[in-house]
Amino acid sequence: MSGVNWWAIAPLLVLSGGAVLLMLLVAARRDTPLSWITTALILAAAALSCLPAREAIPQAVTPLLMADSYALFFTALFAICGLVTVIVSHEYLGERHGENEEFFLLVLLSTLGAVTLAYANHFVALLLGMELMGVSLYALIGYPDKLELPLEAAIKYLVLSAAASITFVFGFALLYAAVGVLDYPGIGAALASADNPVLLASAAMIVAGLGYKLSVVPFHMWTPDVYEGAPAPITGFLAAVSKGAIFAALLRWWMASGLYELPGLLTLVALVAGASMLVGNLLALLQDNIKRVLAYSSIAHMGYLLIVLVACGLVADPHLAKEAAAYYLVAYSLTSLAAFTLLGLLSRASGSKELASLDDLTGLFWRQPGLSLLFTVALLSLAGIPLTAGFVGKFYLFSAGVAGSLWGLLALLVIGSAIGLYYYLRMVYRMTLAGDAQPAAVERPGWPARLTCYGLVLAMLYLGIVPGPLMEILRTIL
Amino acid sequence: MKDLLWLIPALPLASATLLILGGRLMSPRIVAALGVGSVGAAAICVLLTVLQWQGAPLESQLWTWMQVGELSAGVSFYVDGLTLVMLSVITGVGFLIHLYSAEFMAGDESYARYFAYLNLFVTAMLTLVMADNLLLLFFGWEGVGACSYLLIGFWHFDAANGAAARKAFIVTRAGDAAMALGLFLLFAEFGTLDIQAMSAAAGERWEVGNPTAVLATALLLGGAVGKSAQLPLHTWLPDAMAGPTPVSALIHAATMVTAGVYLVARTHELFLLAPPTLLAVAIIGLLTLLLAAFAALCQHDIKRILAWSTISQIGYMFLGLGVGAWGASVFHLMTHAFFKALLFLAAGAIIHCLHHEHDIRNMGGLRTRLPLVFISFLIGAAALSALPLTSGFYSKDLIVLAAFEAPVAGPWLWAGAVLGAFLTALYSFRLVFVVFFGRTNTLPDRQPGPGMATPLAVLCAFALVGGWLGVPVSNVFPEAETGHAALWVEVISIGVPLLGLGLAWLLFLGRGLDAGDLVASPPGQALYGFWHAGWRVDGLYDWLWVKPYMGLAALLRSEPVDRLYGAVVGLCRLLHRALSNSQTGRLRQYGTVMVVGVIVLLNIVWRAAG
Amino acid sequence: MDGLQVPMEHVLGLASLLFAMGLTGLMVRRNILFVLMSLEVMLNAGALAFVSAGAHWGQPDGQVVFMLILTVAAAEVSVGLGLVLQVQRRFQTLDVDNATRLRG
Repeated sequence: MSGVNWWAIAPLLVLSGGAVLLMLLVAARRDTPLSWITTALILAAAALSCLPAREAIPQAVTPLLMADSYALFFTALFAICGLVTVIVSHEYLGERHGENEEFFLLVLLSTLGAVTLAYANHFVALLLGMELMGVSLYALIGYPDKLELPLEAAIKYLVLSAAASITFVFGFALLYAAVGVLDYPGIGAALASADNPVLLASAAMIVAGLGYKLSVVPFHMWTPDVYEGAPAPITGFLAAVSKGAIFAALLRWWMASGLYELPGLLTLVALVAGASMLVGNLLALLQDNIKRVLAYSSIAHMGYLLIVLVACGLVADPHLAKEAAAYYLVAYSLTSLAAFTLLGLLSRASGSKELASLDDLTGLFWRQPGLSLLFTVALLSLAGIPLTAGFVGKFYLFSAGVAGSLWGLLALLVIGSAIGLYYYLRMVYRMTLAGDAQPAAVERPGWPARLTCYGLVLAMLYLGIVPGPLMEILRTIL
Repeated sequence: MKDLLWLIPALPLASATLLILGGRLMSPRIVAALGVGSVGAAAICVLLTVLQWQGAPLESQLWTWMQVGELSAGVSFYVDGLTLVMLSVITGVGFLIHLYSAEFMAGDESYARYFAYLNLFVTAMLTLVMADNLLLLFFGWEGVGACSYLLIGFWHFDAANGAAARKAFIVTRAGDAAMALGLFLLFAEFGTLDIQAMSAAAGERWEVGNPTAVLATALLLGGAVGKSAQLPLHTWLPDAMAGPTPVSALIHAATMVTAGVYLVARTHELFLLAPPTLLAVAIIGLLTLLLAAFAALCQHDIKRILAWSTISQIGYMFLGLGVGAWGASVFHLMTHAFFKALLFLAAGAIIHCLHHEHDIRNMGGLRTRLPLVFISFLIGAAALSALPLTSGFYSKDLIVLAAFEAPVAGPWLWAGAVLGAFLTALYSFRLVFVVFFGRTNTLPDRQPGPGMATPLAVLCAFALVGGWLGVPVSNVFPEAETGHAALWVEVISIGVPLLGLGLAWLLFLGRGLDAGDLVASPPGQALYGFWHAGWRVDGLYDWLWVKPYMGLAALLRSEPVDRLYGAVVGLCRLLHRALSNSQTGRLRQYGTVMVVGVIVLLNIVWRAAG
Repeated sequence: MDGLQVPMEHVLGLASLLFAMGLTGLMVRRNILFVLMSLEVMLNAGALAFVSAGAHWGQPDGQVVFMLILTVAAAEVSVGLGLVLQVQRRFQTLDVDNATRLRG
């Protein structure tokens, strides 16, 4: 291991060191605000450590990890998302009695798993990252242990997610049996010459395993239940970081191994993408529960994103497609994080424990104008209205699809977006209706949470109005 | 100065935003100060730019929205001599008209809304002329169209005004559709919509007369014809007079309707590659100017006379463009903005002081009652008729002479233009004689105040001496060959307006010929009616387009198409229900679906691999 | 190599069988405890496949991955059992079919 520049994996070291530190801290003294601030500082340090790490890349750190600008970019993104989750969780946990310190520890570990996925260049790192992220999430989803819904969500997520992971592991075992290597570049080299019926089965099982984590059809069933049951900040984390990390890892693997060479895999991904766009949007169409609407729409969003993978396999120069994927991931992560965070804050501010059904939104605009406005921006971005990040992301995807001549998928994208417009705007419409004259006891959320929301929404608008700088960055690092 | 270019459209935009958001809370004084002041400040910015201008085009990249593949969308400005002329007209004349409006609209309950729309219009128009790419230009183009719609229908509680606004919107839309197609075609051809880059690429790729060039320019011309109210899309402009008079002066005389001229001038390098389109421009211009002049002769509504005359004068500009007299057209655009704004504002003053009287037959003898308005109107009419030494004389003369030297059908174009000049003088002075001389029919109940008098005075000065201002467009357009026309051509061109003036004297001051007798004769009656109705083009369109459309609409009233949409909606609902029911919340069922999913995937892969 | 040589295909077949058994258990068992056990069976099927593939290629990697999978399984099960305890406490039953409040 001589000659390794440890700066290259500085974010990983910061996060794992920080997790140990936090554990010791909690063992020494149970103090929620203290561990809250410590976690936030560790995540911020992890995000910042990407800056010096830039000097040490590109570098392979053991065969498992590849430190390059791709890894650092997503590391920064996930660390920031984790930071946002931690900041707003404090608000959420505020009224909960009992021990909250482990909540922050779990977010930290889950983020560590996501960052590992961004670096992963080998099956082992992929599995480690996926499980670290997943197992922490089981506990996070069921964290409010006095309530039934989170518990039900957690048990469903645990069983199905574990089954999906195992399916993925089994698929990879078959791949290993066929090609005899476990690292991405090696797989790519071996795939070029391999021709084994086992490969077919492995392709299907790998798609199934990762498809579950991305919640695409037909592995989407868990999504609404888990989204609804989980605490709002964790739902945002799940949508932004968990899916983003899996996709980032998948995209790297896809490109590094030329995975699209696997027979039938492109067809599979295209079918899954098309079905997700359609089914996700249709399921959301008349749904009354806000969190479920967002859950179903996330299925559709993942379907949109898969277009990129298909395009990567078809075009000679996949740069545009990779840029599109990265841009969309950034936009989607920020937007869904903002949407769930705001939903949580609005719930608290409205007095009720959780804003559950669409009816609860009625007249919200007049009771909570500030937060409602921000929520509206987030919804518009999800719907892909111009001058928001969501629009630019979708437009980028569209260009990538056009470059790959994927007319069928693009048609579904357009149809899906049209359906999407209906249910997103329906929520906005509900908020603007004249509501109850007597507002419930209004409770202002604390300033860190409010500031974070403003930051997220501003970022969304910035990426929608001035997308140039980020595009430029993506162009240089991908 | 280059760094301040963005201020020019930003100032009116900021004011419009403030007025829309908080106009209801502001006192009328503040509203007026904001509305007028912002355009005034923009005018000062333009003035500074003009003073410091070195002759080279200024380019300013403000904001790139996004750049994906070949498409680049954003806001960037390109300011050369042509743009500066337009900027000066828009902000200069615009400022005077805003000032005038402050008094004219005083007491209107939607005072803030009025200024918000007007400022928004100025913003859109400035964007249109400053844009360096056709996409942004189109954005401004649609913006002015929307503002025009809002302002024609400003007094929307009268249904007729709403109908006029809709007509303007729909008719220009036909042109805009053609223009959008032209943009798509150009983008497909060159992969850029940047005007300068496109012009350069076109010069390299297309030889003169290339069919694609002809098609693309013809489509652009479609847009120009719609916006500038030329044949066959001219019918909306006379009805557009339903808006407040200052709006007619600013939008439907001085600025927006000349956007078509600007578009053709701006893309002249494309048009030069398409001689057939260029000829079409000249012929459209000629036919429009004659047709509109005849129609103007037979109107009673003072604003409609001016509207038809605007159509006619823009016809001159198109004629000039068509024969390659680019500079002369832009020059006429500028002088026309001066004298037509003056005429409209003077007409507005008359209407203002005569309890909203529009019909010139109910006016008369106002020479002594409204002396300032009389002088303004006289100067405006003289410039419109191109009497020697007025501003209109210089610009129109250039166009008429250029028409004579046109390579194709030059003398014919010239003869038409001269006939038009004769008619212009005739209808202009008919207006002057009928309104200001003779018996007094209606007494004015007030005099225009300083807010209205000042713009009139300033515009009088410009209408008189504006012809001595040059337009700095020599770098923009190719050098025209300046052959000297024969003396008789010049003499006739100059003399004809005087003839028209003389005939008007004879006819309408009753010293010899009696206009009433002429009109009363059977052929006179028929022609009068025909021209009064604008050659019955509206009737024709009604029969050709509106009636069939209404018929179709009646046919579709039973909603066969809606039923199709209804079926789509129903299908979506059905699928939603079916899928929703699958979400039973049972863990084991979810697991089963996953397993089935894996099996299905395996099957698909198996089949795909054969 | 001495001793019994088992072809990789046979071991993979056995692993697939185990995997299918685990999946079936996931689908038909109602007691969460048994569902978790089915997951263990599936996980071990994957591990077995890795070991046999590693042996086939003559690499230690397969066995290393086996160790890793054991660790992962331990983590999963520990969290899983924690949740099972909570389920028993809240719902007074371990029947997963009872947990259907989240639906639609």
